[in-house]
Amino acid sequence: MSAATEDILDHLAAVSFVAGRDARAALPVVTPLGEAGTLRYLETGRDLFFYDREAGKAFFHATADLIMTFEGLDPWLDQARVFLSQRGTFRAAVGFFEQASAVRRGWGAEGEALWFALGAAWIDRHVDSAASYFRVPVAILFGDAGVEGLRALLTPAEVLAKGRLGLGTYLDGAIKVRGICGLEGVAEWTRRGGDVLAAGRVRGEAWFRLESDEARSFLLEVLPGFRMGTHKRLFGLLLQAWTGLHLPLEEGNWSLEGGRSFVETDGRSLFVPAVMPDREEALLAFYHTGAHLVFDSYEQDAIHALFAEIGVQHPPLDPDQRITWRPLFAQFGDDMIRFQLIFDLCEDLRVDSALEREMPGYLARVLRASRQRRRPEGGAGRYYQAAVNMLEDGMAGRLPGDLAMLMTAQTGIVDAFRAALTLYATTDLPPISLSERARAYLPGHSPNAARPVYPRQKRGTDVPEMDGGGELGAAGHEEKPREAPQQAEGNDPDMDIPPEDIQGTGGRVGVGIPMPAKVMGSGRGVQGPKGGWPYREWDYRQQSYKEGWARVHERPLREHDEAKAIAIAAEYDGTLRRLKRALQAQKPTRMAPRRRQYEGDEPDLEAAVQFVVERRAGHSPKAGIYLQRRPQQRDTSVLLLADLSTSIMAEAGDSGVRVVDRLRSAMLLFGEALVEVGDPFALYGFASKYHDEVLLYPIKRFTDKFDARARALLGGLSGRLATRMGAAIRHSSRLMLRSPAQRRLLLILSDGRPADYDDAGDSRYLQEDTRMAVKEAQDLGIHAFCISLDPCGGEYLPLVFGHGHYLVLPHLDSLPTRLPEIYLRLRGHNA
Amino acid sequence: MGTNMSETKMAESNGLRLPFEEPFYQPVANEVRVFMAAWDRRLPVMLKGPTGCGKTRFLEHMAWRLKRPLVTVACHEDLTSSDLVGRFLIEGDETVWQDGPLTKAVREGAICYLDEIVEARTDTTVVIHPLTDHRRHLPIEKLGVEIIAHPDFMLVISYNPGYQTVLKDLKPSTKQRFVGMNFNYPPADVETRIVMKEAGMDESRARALVAAAGKARNLKDQGLQEVTSTRALIYAGALMVAGLDALEACTVAIIHPQTDDPELAEALLEIFRTFFPEQG
Repeated sequence: MSAATEDILDHLAAVSFVAGRDARAALPVVTPLGEAGTLRYLETGRDLFFYDREAGKAFFHATADLIMTFEGLDPWLDQARVFLSQRGTFRAAVGFFEQASAVRRGWGAEGEALWFALGAAWIDRHVDSAASYFRVPVAILFGDAGVEGLRALLTPAEVLAKGRLGLGTYLDGAIKVRGICGLEGVAEWTRRGGDVLAAGRVRGEAWFRLESDEARSFLLEVLPGFRMGTHKRLFGLLLQAWTGLHLPLEEGNWSLEGGRSFVETDGRSLFVPAVMPDREEALLAFYHTGAHLVFDSYEQDAIHALFAEIGVQHPPLDPDQRITWRPLFAQFGDDMIRFQLIFDLCEDLRVDSALEREMPGYLARVLRASRQRRRPEGGAGRYYQAAVNMLEDGMAGRLPGDLAMLMTAQTGIVDAFRAALTLYATTDLPPISLSERARAYLPGHSPNAARPVYPRQKRGTDVPEMDGGGELGAAGHEEKPREAPQQAEGNDPDMDIPPEDIQGTGGRVGVGIPMPAKVMGSGRGVQGPKGGWPYREWDYRQQSYKEGWARVHERPLREHDEAKAIAIAAEYDGTLRRLKRALQAQKPTRMAPRRRQYEGDEPDLEAAVQFVVERRAGHSPKAGIYLQRRPQQRDTSVLLLADLSTSIMAEAGDSGVRVVDRLRSAMLLFGEALVEVGDPFALYGFASKYHDEVLLYPIKRFTDKFDARARALLGGLSGRLATRMGAAIRHSSRLMLRSPAQRRLLLILSDGRPADYDDAGDSRYLQEDTRMAVKEAQDLGIHAFCISLDPCGGEYLPLVFGHGHYLVLPHLDSLPTRLPEIYLRLRGHNA
Repeated sequence: MGTNMSETKMAESNGLRLPFEEPFYQPVANEVRVFMAAWDRRLPVMLKGPTGCGKTRFLEHMAWRLKRPLVTVACHEDLTSSDLVGRFLIEGDETVWQDGPLTKAVREGAICYLDEIVEARTDTTVVIHPLTDHRRHLPIEKLGVEIIAHPDFMLVISYNPGYQTVLKDLKPSTKQRFVGMNFNYPPADVETRIVMKEAGMDESRARALVAAAGKARNLKDQGLQEVTSTRALIYAGALMVAGLDALEACTVAIIHPQTDDPELAEALLEIFRTFFPEQG
């Protein structure tokens, strides 16, 4: 070792103990490269260290790996000097030293040179951008696109830099966009993003981070493949048809895992990606995921048995009471992903076979789709092929014993687990990395333990019977946590709610699982407003009424929006016209002249003939031989009671449409249609805040005209507070008794279960009360009918309103046109 | 509600129809036994069930078994009690009383079937009340007489409980006068046999039709007013036998008549396509 090198080492050690130690530690791999090289190396290290301590440390630490990969000091040593050119480059430098060898190994000398050059160019321009660049894990940065792909990915950023957009912001989104729709998509996305950025900085950044709606809708426009959004209802219908499940569909991951998009489930909802490669794969994914749910991959007892199998008494739960799968795979350590894939192979075989028994040709479809797709490269391809072989052998009856058994009806997930253990012990399937994993799945299949799940009840028992006692809302019955009512749009003056006095584990509305809990005292600490109409409320726990417990107050609505009402009328002009035309066409029958009257404008021919005939026959018939053209006294009256709770302010799914928007339109159209029909009608909204403040908002009373005022009120509808439905129904029934008609219809429009702040999370309480209120109305001769927007409505509406007395409209957009139609059908009008 | 793929042959008997060829009916549960018992005591019967599940055919079959003529009245909103009971007509210089279908059945001892009774107005249907209890007579106001029902007279009504009839439900006091029999679509095996027999088709396709319908019926609450009926399956089967492609037959016989909602139609098509994959 020369004196020069010793000098440098001493110098480093004098300045920093760490530096001296790290430099010496790195030397053994450097010295074989010769004296000159060692000197050059140490000089660079020293310069880096003095320039920036962190950069220097990273340099020394990475040395061994770098020299081994590059087989020397070039070109990385010279490249490293670029970090000396600007202040604050240490983050970039650390990223560079940590990843350079990986780039060299993965993409060769040329790739490494380009990777460095592209990043180095940013050091002069914007150090933070360079840091973001060098710190993006290179596997993600390069993706599948290769060296030229990287150049193409970075090119647009040059232009954007002029608009002062940092590379970090750009890369984040660009990599996702590339994953979703390829490099061409990135070019188009950047071009438009440039315009957005020019229009406004915040908006522009949101675009590039893919956080804004416009960026998402753009992606949906350019995405290749099959867009799920517009077909969600179709898939929901098919899922229901095949499995009987009626699950909410929620928005799944946008960023694709390894270029694959998966339908996933947490046991209660399906998470649907924005796009899938094609319709067939989307269908298969729905069928397959539905099959997992319905054939008990997530069934409570099965999961317990599964965890018992590995010696864990109870499956671990996360704070939301969902089961986390980790312990199941933990024992396999580094080989975890390999086992997980093998387990998925077995469980998918079991579930697919079960589905095949219901859906002939399903396995053949999976096979066809799998063969059409190119087999993935590398390890993922082996698993892919193994899955294909398994299906082929299974269909041909060539599978070995334990796997063949999975194809019979009597097997569960535990059998699949055991089969997986056997297969794991014998198979030669290679180890596989997490980034490759996604490609190992057949079309429509996906990692089964992707999300923590809410365990499901065994099939056949998950339809709770109201009379079964103690099932609904009782401990053990899992409910999706309801969302706590939030501050409403508009300025509702009644929002300052004191915390309620609750004992038990129930907690606030919508938090945690519903547990039986008691509300102490009469809403202690809450002083409801004076006055109002008292109503009794049914307490299923006591099996008795609480007399005068609920108080209903009628309040005028304050917000009104005439412009909105006009806009809605304009938007639905076509529908409204069609509706009116249809009604007018019916008018001759609707306005059916009253026959057999003693006086009138014209003779009733048939009655007159009969009169004459009967006279001749020697009778003395009554002389009711006239027709009257008076409008008939309608025999049906209707009160539309709309749920105005906070939840209507929420967007429905990812549609960007709020429930309230459609509610306004629907009620307006309903009003217009009813004016045309001529039936007496009233429009009310309701909300509640504790039992002693149930609010009924008259929009149009029976005696009011449906005029500009009522329309403006509808235009300004907004959500507030909670949903105490029973009291609202009782009050509406009382109002209806004053209406003149013989047949009385109470039409309830809601988007969820009855709930209030003081129900202590026990959803059954108000549900049972509502059921009683409906029954009381029935006894008064009032027919209650519920139109619900809650996709889970099928679970509780039959219990509350009775079969045939409710309708679930999971398709929000159809509400405005359907509402008048449903009414007309209910009253027996063939519109 | 006439399921008439294999046309039920009727003979005339005193102006009343008397079936002389056995209408095909495949019993599903205890309905024949219950009906026979009701017949034995001449109790009025109420058939409830969805469209096209075999209510009318069942009754035709029972009428044939009992060798009684069957008088069917399809009820509608403008049906008056005269339409049921009868009216005076002028013939030349004379006035002639013309019995309505109900009166005819009461006199002759036929089975009177008031189909979709809820469609008729309540003031019309009260005329049946005295016929449904121990009195078993029919007052004819215009003639000033009361006819005692023929010992073999039997009254049967039907309706289809669905959300359309929420407001038009029968009064509980009317309902209580009847023996109630619930009908539904038959179990898959039975339905397959029915479809095979009625449409004259092979078992495998009939089985596929029934299996597909089983899935399609899961969509009941999704805006379908009626789910796929046995009758629709028979129509589809008949069209297949007549040479239509299977999926084509399902589309025109089942999907198109059932819904105008494009997504629902697509979902249904997808279900039927699974059981009848397109050729080629």
